[in-house]
Amino acid sequence: MPLLVKAGSFLRNLFLTRRVDADLDQEVHSHLEMLIEEKMRAGITPAEAQRAARIELGGVAQVQEQVREERLGSWLHSAWSDCRYGLRHLRRNPGTTAVMVFTLALGIGASTAIFSVVYCVLLRPLPYAHANRIVAVFEVTSHGQPSRLADPNFDDFRDQSRSFEAIAKYDNYVTSVSGATQPTRTMVADISPAFLRVFGVQPLLGRDFSDDDAKKGAGRSALVSYGYWRQNLGAPADLSQSHLRIDGAMYSVIGVLPAGFRFPADVDLWLPADLNGEGQSRTSHNYSAVGRLRSGVTVAQANQDISAIARRIHDTSSEQGDYLLKDAMVLPLQRSLTGKARLPLLVLLGAVGFLLLVACANVANLLLAQASVRARELAIRSALGAGRGRLIRQFLTEAFLLSLVGGALGVLGAFWGVAGLVALAPGDLPRIESISISIPVLLFALLLSTAVAVGLGASTAARATSGDLRQGLVEGGRGQADSRGSRRLGQVIVAAQIAITLALVVGAGLLGRSLMRVLEVNPGFRVDKIVAMDVSLPWVNDPNAKAGQAIFYANLIERLRQIPGVRNVGAASALPLAEGGLPDGMFLLMTPDEVPKTVDDFGALSQQKERIGIADFCVASNGYFQVLGIPLIRGRIFDEHDGGNSLHVAVISESLARERWPNQDAIGHTIEFGNMDGDLRLLTIVGIVGDTREYGLDAPPRPTVYVDLFQRPSPAITIAMLSDGDTRSVTAAARGILQEMNPELPAKFQTFSQVYSASLGSRRFNVVLIGFFGLVALLLATAGVFGVMAYAVNRRTHEIGVRVALGAGSGDVLRMVIAEGMRAILIGVGIGIVGALVLTRTVQSLLFGVTSTDPLTFGAVTLLLVGTALLACLVPARRAMKVDPMVALRYE
Amino acid sequence: MSPEQTSLLQGTLDLLILKSLRAGEMHGLGVSRRIEQLTGGTFVVKPGSLFPALHRMEEEGWISAFWGESENNRRAKYYRLSKAGEKQLEAETKRWSRISLAIGQALEAS
Repeated sequence: MPLLVKAGSFLRNLFLTRRVDADLDQEVHSHLEMLIEEKMRAGITPAEAQRAARIELGGVAQVQEQVREERLGSWLHSAWSDCRYGLRHLRRNPGTTAVMVFTLALGIGASTAIFSVVYCVLLRPLPYAHANRIVAVFEVTSHGQPSRLADPNFDDFRDQSRSFEAIAKYDNYVTSVSGATQPTRTMVADISPAFLRVFGVQPLLGRDFSDDDAKKGAGRSALVSYGYWRQNLGAPADLSQSHLRIDGAMYSVIGVLPAGFRFPADVDLWLPADLNGEGQSRTSHNYSAVGRLRSGVTVAQANQDISAIARRIHDTSSEQGDYLLKDAMVLPLQRSLTGKARLPLLVLLGAVGFLLLVACANVANLLLAQASVRARELAIRSALGAGRGRLIRQFLTEAFLLSLVGGALGVLGAFWGVAGLVALAPGDLPRIESISISIPVLLFALLLSTAVAVGLGASTAARATSGDLRQGLVEGGRGQADSRGSRRLGQVIVAAQIAITLALVVGAGLLGRSLMRVLEVNPGFRVDKIVAMDVSLPWVNDPNAKAGQAIFYANLIERLRQIPGVRNVGAASALPLAEGGLPDGMFLLMTPDEVPKTVDDFGALSQQKERIGIADFCVASNGYFQVLGIPLIRGRIFDEHDGGNSLHVAVISESLARERWPNQDAIGHTIEFGNMDGDLRLLTIVGIVGDTREYGLDAPPRPTVYVDLFQRPSPAITIAMLSDGDTRSVTAAARGILQEMNPELPAKFQTFSQVYSASLGSRRFNVVLIGFFGLVALLLATAGVFGVMAYAVNRRTHEIGVRVALGAGSGDVLRMVIAEGMRAILIGVGIGIVGALVLTRTVQSLLFGVTSTDPLTFGAVTLLLVGTALLACLVPARRAMKVDPMVALRYE
Repeated sequence: MSPEQTSLLQGTLDLLILKSLRAGEMHGLGVSRRIEQLTGGTFVVKPGSLFPALHRMEEEGWISAFWGESENNRRAKYYRLSKAGEKQLEAETKRWSRISLAIGQALEAS
């Protein structure tokens, strides 16, 4: 029964507000009348009775308000009226409201857009069952770096460890595939049989590899991706007729993997590893590896487990030396995939967070300015019985309205911003294709807007409702007593804003200077006017087949030279900066009579430290050096006399000559580098060429051994064509020539400047975005300084008028105003410099050619900031100078 | 009025209002004067506390309100104890005796 009464009251309070209020009004009034009658009966005059009754009652409006607050559902009621009131207030100042909403939309929108990238790349779980149990497995080199695995080491990890439910090795590469609708260059992975079990994936159609499929000499079988099955095979339900020629050999398709499974990224075909037998060397790092931890096994336990195995191998192996593992480790797969992208993205998130703070500071200042104008209104509401809590709620409600509208607009903007980010993002950003505004990103935006609302509302309310509100009435509505406090708070906000902006702009400056330094680096090769064409022939070992490939390359290059506009053509196993890069390995210094008979004899010889050298191995044609403009320093490069059966020659890079043959001439020495291509003939060094920065402009050049493409053809090459002509017509002509020479051979074309540009992608992405955030923060901070100073001058018009009337010159006024502004600015700059010194240390590894405390950057940014802030002070200060004492005093 | 005082008085005030209305229906001023009389002038209930309490108790269903005529033929709002209110008064009275007994014992103990 009481429950029914309660529900009835609640509904009545909610929907019959007017009647309930009228009722209350009558009740309180009749109470007052009765009080007066009572007093009069006691024999005092009507006027006195009135007064006494009113004192006893304590104010009709206040009593009513107290009853209202006590009512059921009053919070709902007051929230609704706060909303209406807040909206009315915001609409009354459309200009300020628009600025605040836009500023918040900018801050929240930019943060949401960046968070969507961070979430999709770093946080979102990988799309596999129990993905947190999937780890990448690495050997650890003698230098402490993670590295790929050698076959026998992998076998030991697989057989001896107890941490894995499944562990598999894989190696992916691009190769030529034909037999489907058209020949393609396709990403292929060689995998060991447990591979799919690691990911908890089963074929959608057909079957997985069995252990027998992976044995040496087994029939060649392949798994295909869902996309490849549909687009290139025509989606047959019966796979028995599906065969593919991959890297020159026929494979039967035995299974189709579910849509969406592509690991490693972009792979379309999976083949069994080891069909030609396993490698025997513990120092040839041929495979990457992944494992699925047993349920309940932690990463730390798995680390201990394989680390013990690795150290056992290290202690007992006959193959000692730099290339033998020292240790081993596992890393959650997600961490391992996003390792390089992690820091730049977190820095970006930090930067956008700073931008949001600066934006909020501006809004806070505007709200504060409004609040002190509203002092009178607050005083009246307070006098009419509104408690402090009620007033604070009012401010919170208004802040919520602002930031929710701002947040909604920001999210709309973020949809558009994300498209821009994806277009701008470097191509090597992992999982970039899936970046979007998803539910978690929207939740983030909502949370962010709420946090902003609470922060803004609470700070404004705390300031505006502190002290005795009724002062607002006494002082004629100008709230003089209050204004000094608000002004000080405004200055604190300005100082904070300047500090944050300084740190942000310094960060942008350091990254920008790093990019400039990188661009100044001489890469050691030409970039423009080069069209690159990637071609892969099947891998062969037979000398005659190799000779055939050499002839094919020679003919191809000769015909490409004939294309109109093409000046020169060269080829190499990989161009500098290309994805994947060159293989590196250990070569041996030896004379012709020391040559070993088999690859296995290398082991013993490689124990002799004085014989060992380490270098990248590049197969190149003579034209390659001319096309890329790599200078010949001494000796000669390859020429037409270097045939397949004549003396095998090598050209080495300057840094290798300097490191390996200090104080002597490297030319004429002979080296053995047959472990790279299986050809054990010695290489005679005939020339020294300039260094190239193959692994990026910001990485030092690596020592390189170049061998002659026509003596030791490589199955996968990139042909570089130096051309003055139109890229498209050269590409079309080259494609036609290849088609004529071998219709089954696909090719990929791009300009070398594209490759060059892609290699700077990540750096440019961060510089552009953080630079943009810095610029926006600078504009916001300038607006903030201007706003606070203009407001301060406005409030002090009277005081300035008095000063001028008492004889202050306009110079004094200018100095006074600017001094007030500059104090906050300089404090902000000081804090900002200290903060930046601490913060920029975290981006140290992203910098190049500048230190994280680069005085030039710090100095320039400080000057820029102080200069801009000074300008922002100058406008209000000039207005202060023009204050006419008569007008100012009369205004009062 | 400090918050501690309000919360201490809240239960007391409810009890006193219920007790006053036990004697029959009356309007706000009547309740107020009756409480003064009952407590020998110790408690003077201000309208700012009385009306919120009356309205809250009405919403709880302990008392019901209706418009009537005052002694001087003035329209006034009258309150009357309901069934639930009587039960509440009983419960509150018991609770209060228990508390005052306990407090009394506590204060007498040396």
